[in-house]
Amino acid sequence: MNVRPATSETATPSLPMGGELARLGALLFAALLLQTTVAPNIRILGSSPDFALIIVVCVALRRGAVVGAVFGFLTGVLVGVALLEPLGMSALVLVVVGYFAGRYAETADLSAPVAPLVGVFAATLLANILVVTLQYLLERQVPFGFWVGRVLLPSLVLNTLLAAVFYLLVRTVLKGKGVLRADQVA
Amino acid sequence: MNRRRVLQRRLVAAVLVLLSLGLLTLYFRESDNGFAHRVQDGALRVVTPLQEGSARAIEPFRNGWNWVADLFGAKSENKRLKEEVETLRAAVAEELTTQAENQELRALLDMRRGRIFPASVDFVPARVIARSTTAWYSTVTIDVGRDDGVREFDAVVNGQGLVGRIESVKATASQVQLLTDQQSYVDAMVVPSQAEGLAAGSVTGSVSLQYVAKSEEVKTGEFVVTSGRQGSIFVRGIPIGQVESVGAQEVELYQSITVTPAVDFRELDIVMVVRR
Repeated sequence: MNVRPATSETATPSLPMGGELARLGALLFAALLLQTTVAPNIRILGSSPDFALIIVVCVALRRGAVVGAVFGFLTGVLVGVALLEPLGMSALVLVVVGYFAGRYAETADLSAPVAPLVGVFAATLLANILVVTLQYLLERQVPFGFWVGRVLLPSLVLNTLLAAVFYLLVRTVLKGKGVLRADQVA
Repeated sequence: MNRRRVLQRRLVAAVLVLLSLGLLTLYFRESDNGFAHRVQDGALRVVTPLQEGSARAIEPFRNGWNWVADLFGAKSENKRLKEEVETLRAAVAEELTTQAENQELRALLDMRRGRIFPASVDFVPARVIARSTTAWYSTVTIDVGRDDGVREFDAVVNGQGLVGRIESVKATASQVQLLTDQQSYVDAMVVPSQAEGLAAGSVTGSVSLQYVAKSEEVKTGEFVVTSGRQGSIFVRGIPIGQVESVGAQEVELYQSITVTPAVDFRELDIVMVVRR
């Protein structure tokens, strides 16, 4: 996987309109439904898959940092509402994850088949660090061993395994080319 | 041109992060009638029917999944249960030797048959429509709320025992803090030994009985119920679980007691809110 130099910039895709907006809306709805109804009922290795995060990362990988961050924010707010979580918590995590996943797509070569898996793996790690920091700030118990063994590792495995399937689905739904790097525009 | 795009991109990200932080701060600082809570309340009116429908649709799959999961654990479970039966047989024989203890067990049985709650208590049946997906919170969302007369701190039970308490109430849905949540504390007592303590959840999902003095004699297999102490939000005698193990370090003031919850939280579906 070739990572481009940090100085290079990308061709930011135009804002989604019409059909593209509808497709993103459908993905948002799917992420919300999967996260609030399917995920809580699936426990593998003591952890639930984070469908919302996986879909946000996949969208960001296809559409770049700006769309990724906005999509992450909206998904986070809706998940927060549906699960009666403190509003803003999931949104904050998914904005950061969407933005950085988008930047990864804009600066790295995504042609390698493992690229989406790497993206979701790194995003899950980042999201877990953010969540555990927020939990610590909210004065909740955060035992390190429990976090690593029962939360972080299972979610890394689960999310990464699901990444390939969801990336293919998102790529099918979001038609057209993915995000273009500056050298590809030229 | 590129520079402008970079600035735009960073600006969008910064605005969204600030917006999220603002929402989070607002949510924790405002009262239950504040803006963020009202927005959540309004949005939940739309989301609740959707969750209700999908929860029903997914129920057979969930049951199937649990069945498969149970199958994998069946062999070790069988061995463990056999050992447990032996232990329980001995425990029951011991329990039945004294009339007083026998009466306590009968009283508990009566309570479990539905004589726990005073006649004036009103129940609101509810269905679980969503569950927390993170390990940090043990909560579920139920499909009844303020419109049904549910209030914060109302107890939530099912046929097996105490499920938890209402943590936050919206118009059409409520959030239940489960007994296993790390911030759940319930006044509890052990029967028949009458030892009192606090049943506390934990981040790992286990339940322990805290603040039980070393002088109290608590045995494995005894029942743990709500104590209904004055000021408690729970009536006396709602089953919480059974004592799984008892231990005490010399340096500690209290016994270390773990409790197996009476409720199977994995199978939670229909519950009842106890209206005070």
